[in-house]
Amino acid sequence: MRQILYLLLFTLSLASCEKFLQVDPKQQVDQSQSITDQGSVETAVNGMYHLLGSNSYYGSNFPALSYLSAGDIQWSGSQAAPQQITLHKITADNSYVSNAWGAIYQTILSANTIITKVPEVEDPLFTDSLRNQYVGEAHFVRALCYFDLVRGWGGVQLILTPTNNPHDHQGIKRSSKEETYAQVLKDLHEAERLLPLATDRNRATRKSAWGVLSRYFLYQKNWDSAAYFATKLIDDDKNYQLLKPYSAFFANNATGTAESVFEIHYSISSTNGESNWWLPPALGGRREWSPNNKLVSLLNDPAVGGNRNALIAQTAPPGNLWYGKLYYRTPTGTDPAYILRMSELYLIRSEAYVQKNRLEDALADVNAVRDRAGTPPLAAGSSARQILEDIQLQRRLEFPFESDRWFDLVRTGQVAAVLGITDPRKYVFPIPTSELLADKNLEQNDGY
Amino acid sequence: MKKGFFKGFILLLTQLSVFRLLAQINTNPHINSELYGTVIDSTTRQPLEGVTLQIKGITHSTISDRKGKFNFKTGQTFPYKLVVTFIGYQTKEITVSQSPVVIEIQQNQNRLGDVVVVGYGTQSKKALTGSVTSVDVDQIRSKPAASFDQQLQGKVPGLQVTANTGIPGDGLFLRIRGTTSINASNEPLYVIDGVFVNNESLQKITTEGQSNNPLADINPADIASISVLKDATATAIYGARGANGVIVITTKRGQEGTPKVSLSASAGAAWAPKLWDLVTGPEHATIINEAWVNDGNSYDTRPFRPVSEGGRGLPEEQQTYDRLDDIFRTGTLQNYDLSVSGGNTKTHYYIGGGYNSQQAELRTNDYNRASFKVNLDQQLSDFIKIGTSNLISRSYRDNARIGDGPKGGIFQAALHTPTYLPKFNEDGSYAKWAGFDNLDVLIKYTNMHSISLRYIGNIYAEANILPGLKFRTSWSLDYNNYEEYEYWNSYTNLGSANHNYGQSAVSRNTIWTNEQTLNYQTTFGQQHHFTALIGNTVQGNSEGATIATGSNFPNDSYTEIASAATTTSTASTTAYKLASFFSRVNYDYAGRYFVEGNLRADGSSRFGADRRWGYFPSLGLGWRLKKEAFLSNTDFVSDLKLRGSYGVTGNQNGIDNFASRGLWGAGANYQDNPGTVPEQLANPDLKWETTRQVNIGLDASFLHDRISLELNLYDKKTTGLLLNVPLPQSSGYNYILKNDGEMQNRGFEFSLTTVNVKSKAFNWQTSLNLSKNKNKILKLTTPIDASYNTERMVQGYPMYSFYVYKQLYVDPETGDAVYDDVNKDGVITAADRQIVGDAWPKLFGGLTNNFSYKNFDLSLFFNFQYGNKVYNNNRYFLESGGTRDDRRAMNRNQLNAWQKPGDITDVPRITTVGNNYTLSPISRFIEDGSFLRLSTLVIGYNIPQDLLNRWRIKTARVYVSGNNLWLWTKYLGPDPEVNVTSSSTVMGYDLGTPPQPRVIQAGINLTF
Repeated sequence: MRQILYLLLFTLSLASCEKFLQVDPKQQVDQSQSITDQGSVETAVNGMYHLLGSNSYYGSNFPALSYLSAGDIQWSGSQAAPQQITLHKITADNSYVSNAWGAIYQTILSANTIITKVPEVEDPLFTDSLRNQYVGEAHFVRALCYFDLVRGWGGVQLILTPTNNPHDHQGIKRSSKEETYAQVLKDLHEAERLLPLATDRNRATRKSAWGVLSRYFLYQKNWDSAAYFATKLIDDDKNYQLLKPYSAFFANNATGTAESVFEIHYSISSTNGESNWWLPPALGGRREWSPNNKLVSLLNDPAVGGNRNALIAQTAPPGNLWYGKLYYRTPTGTDPAYILRMSELYLIRSEAYVQKNRLEDALADVNAVRDRAGTPPLAAGSSARQILEDIQLQRRLEFPFESDRWFDLVRTGQVAAVLGITDPRKYVFPIPTSELLADKNLEQNDGY
Repeated sequence: MKKGFFKGFILLLTQLSVFRLLAQINTNPHINSELYGTVIDSTTRQPLEGVTLQIKGITHSTISDRKGKFNFKTGQTFPYKLVVTFIGYQTKEITVSQSPVVIEIQQNQNRLGDVVVVGYGTQSKKALTGSVTSVDVDQIRSKPAASFDQQLQGKVPGLQVTANTGIPGDGLFLRIRGTTSINASNEPLYVIDGVFVNNESLQKITTEGQSNNPLADINPADIASISVLKDATATAIYGARGANGVIVITTKRGQEGTPKVSLSASAGAAWAPKLWDLVTGPEHATIINEAWVNDGNSYDTRPFRPVSEGGRGLPEEQQTYDRLDDIFRTGTLQNYDLSVSGGNTKTHYYIGGGYNSQQAELRTNDYNRASFKVNLDQQLSDFIKIGTSNLISRSYRDNARIGDGPKGGIFQAALHTPTYLPKFNEDGSYAKWAGFDNLDVLIKYTNMHSISLRYIGNIYAEANILPGLKFRTSWSLDYNNYEEYEYWNSYTNLGSANHNYGQSAVSRNTIWTNEQTLNYQTTFGQQHHFTALIGNTVQGNSEGATIATGSNFPNDSYTEIASAATTTSTASTTAYKLASFFSRVNYDYAGRYFVEGNLRADGSSRFGADRRWGYFPSLGLGWRLKKEAFLSNTDFVSDLKLRGSYGVTGNQNGIDNFASRGLWGAGANYQDNPGTVPEQLANPDLKWETTRQVNIGLDASFLHDRISLELNLYDKKTTGLLLNVPLPQSSGYNYILKNDGEMQNRGFEFSLTTVNVKSKAFNWQTSLNLSKNKNKILKLTTPIDASYNTERMVQGYPMYSFYVYKQLYVDPETGDAVYDDVNKDGVITAADRQIVGDAWPKLFGGLTNNFSYKNFDLSLFFNFQYGNKVYNNNRYFLESGGTRDDRRAMNRNQLNAWQKPGDITDVPRITTVGNNYTLSPISRFIEDGSFLRLSTLVIGYNIPQDLLNRWRIKTARVYVSGNNLWLWTKYLGPDPEVNVTSSSTVMGYDLGTPPQPRVIQAGINLTF
């Protein structure tokens, strides 16, 4: 009797159980439903920009790798990871390094998915021009990602298709630096071809692709092309200008100014983490790091820093501590992340002109930046060397809190001279330990 | 027929019902003698209610009343033999020859005689084949912890309990027989009166590390029994949820008899017995100057030089400000419990109310709980019984940010602010340093609290379908509404930056369960006892939260989110379901050979349709040697049993409800437009984590139960770990949840109870328990770092292994720390980190001594851990060799730093350059966390009966108790019993954890 009851209960209930046990998520959707029509492509593209601006990428971790390494920022907090970076004692388990690395590849996954899936989307209302725009945006973002990877870590594994299964990209080795740069160029050209000719400072357009191309060719020492693409934007002065004073591009809650070629937009539902690290506690941050005395005195020197001293301020007495205030919007967290600004294009072109021995043109460009900052122009007749040195100084003061100076010192071979780091193996960041553990095909950078 | 029915009934119902039935069967023939008497406890001399007295050889029996009195009017003539039986007491046979008599019975020391609560029923301890520890709830209550699980510390072999902090109502580290899983839960299953109870914190507003303990919602005073189910036989009936052990709790129910009123009240004080040793202001300044010079800078520009030279003043001019004294206090504790219970033949009731209030030793942390309990049982007819259990409670917590992080961090502001820095600026305004808020501001204005409203209850009906066959159905609910709030006004950093900042969160958790069981009992051929149980359970669990955040308030007077100019909010829900079928068969022959088999099938909505069901069998065998001819006549051995079990249990707790799906998530917004991103890779093969366990046990008692012991050896192997297997991040994902990896826990548990002295006036009893668990990760493809990046999981090593740079020594010549260069490449890189010890104790347990002399009693309880390591991360901040200058205080150990060639020390030369103070984590901060603690000391006095009679009081006991009165440890912090987080992959990591409080209380217990 016991067995009969047992069997009865068991068989009767099992069928209805399967139905009972089917519970579906409400906050997420299944992978297969992620990209199906124009609307879902649009949200996926938004998601990609969100990842580009996430706190681990442009939302603070990645720029921090650059500005903390550049010798002008001191560590004034308690965390070990930024301390290591400012002291150039980065170990392969540094969390800033691994967070940035992971976030960049996460952004690449989004871009890869859009690039692969959009052509397959069947939606009669989805126009070709819109398709091109979305795919172009993904190429642009992927180009930025690999550009950042190659200048940060050297040649990396090139992942160009979405991951559907954990082993999809198993066995891929690191590409060389040249191959990685080649991929960046390929993506930039694709972006340039597909993107509409428009001015949008928060999303990729053909113009933003030109801007990044200019930077790309600077890194490649292809001076003509660098100058060519810089000129395209500098000449578009209806849309792109150097604003006066310097602070005009960020002060008073400014966003998307004519100074900006590409910046990431943040809102209360998607916030930028920078201000937390820069601002003193009284202003809602933790001042984990701050401008050091060298930088403070440069910025405060009217002849050198000019009105760029708007980047810094002092806490109330008796502390009187200097802090950076490029990122200051709390609690909203809506400070933009500045990826490409006009002053960089002027300085790129100036450098290219110097290299092409067009010193007067070079002088004009660097003086445009000086003029905007309210500092006296570099004297006519300055030598190529003087101009190059000044370009470096202008970069140092223009972008001290953005992702520029460290990469610029590496690019121009100045790290040893400026920072005293003679071991060239330290000019790239380590591949995160966790990544090496998870991927046997990956090799660590020498010296880590 | 009648006999079979009767027998079945006895086994089925609670023992109390049995007595009632026996009483009902009274027949009333001629009266030849009249016997009046009283039954008392031989130790406490207190009268005992509900004792069964039966004349030997006939069915005539009676039960003692609430004053322990009984009478017999019987056809028997004096003298005759009386059999006296009572739960938990030794059965006594006496010959009575006159009236009145006083019968003393003795509490049962023989653990084999107890009846223990097990899954879906009770079992005689004699018949157990599994490993179950039944806890004496009266013994554990003298620890004034908010929750019963913390009170179990040191009382149950195999159960490791570590309080994360000294804050009442905070989370614990609790493991039954080790850690079985990495990413799934390691918490046991809690079952209260048949209700599956949630023990995962619903906390949404951060206190920067800790989370609340939801089990603190349950008033320990309402608990009648706690059984800890440890091995496979005991837990397999809970199948897929039993891998981490099961804690089965029953609450107090009414008994037949006149109403019994119990009142207990206690009050006391709690404080921190020891705090951190920090350097003085002048010492701090001297060290900073030393670092400056050692860094190669000029002495003339040292930071602490005369103010006239632009410095911060000479070291000797610095003041010392004690902030720890400001934040630690002597807190007050109070507890009141009142209950009424009783009933008639058909109705039993228990009504209880309790209030508990505890101020923590650390300011702004308070806890109080008001609870209410109603249990009812009603016999509707001879066949049908219905009943209900209900617990309603409200727990209120005043919280603070006591963990890691500077924002509002009240504890770090006290401990980490350098001692030379003043509390106020010269103009009298609040001084703020090192990123922290001003401590006075935090003490005055921290405004964080939470309210937990909890209902746990069920209704049930039982029907006796056939003789020996009983059907039971129940509906249960655990509902928890958790409301949190924080507000930071303009004086605080968070507030000033945001024009005040507030957050409010409401979380709901619902677990409903419907359960049917069918129970059959029979005996055939006199010696073959047989019981069988089958049942099914369906369960639904849903959780949701609504969170609102506001900033930009008009001023400090407006503290509701509704007043804020800028607000954001979010709301979310999630759910899962379980369905289960289970069965158990017990057989014993003549109380000598025992067999128990369990089988359970569980289906979970968390797994893909093909992998949903898991099957969990177990088998247990027992052999009671005492019943064999060769032992039955031995006086030396009072009882002896061997038992063994093997079985399989599972685990699916702790993983996400949709862990097996490939998912895209929203919320990745851009330009205020909705955005979606890939979130999780699909794993349709995901299934239950499986634990196989072997247990071998021995129960023995000697010399008329004067010595009794229990020994268990176990080996648990968990396979198919629910593991977040790290993926190369180049895939765009961090990990995928897979069944991968294996873990082993092996150990022994030993407990010994001896009655050292037994006499009329003086009694002394000792209980000792010792446990060891050896944990090892048998298989793990990729090492995984736990949070805080100090502990790492590596194949071949135990969980909670410290993965650090190993400091070999400090070079006596240079004063520089020398680290182990594992790969011999001449530089110290991340590749040189290695495993240096782990946080597991080699041995842990407790020692209890109970003394009684006449009406006095004394109880001493020690608990200990031996051989465990603690990572003292406070030292990373406080022993940082000048690298943190004016941003962190320094501990006195810093003064042991190397000074001159020849110095032998492990604290390297003070400098901010080089590796001396920049590497983290390092082995120097791994300390021996062994400790021996006088956990409880109670002195009690039972007020004599004749005194009480005047006030109609039945019993009265007054006591004073102390907790944590003495602590032995080599640990450099105040207390080695710490853990920074409730994360289950971190143990023994000290950061921002207030020590265990020392408590002294006085109280009174009365029954009327």
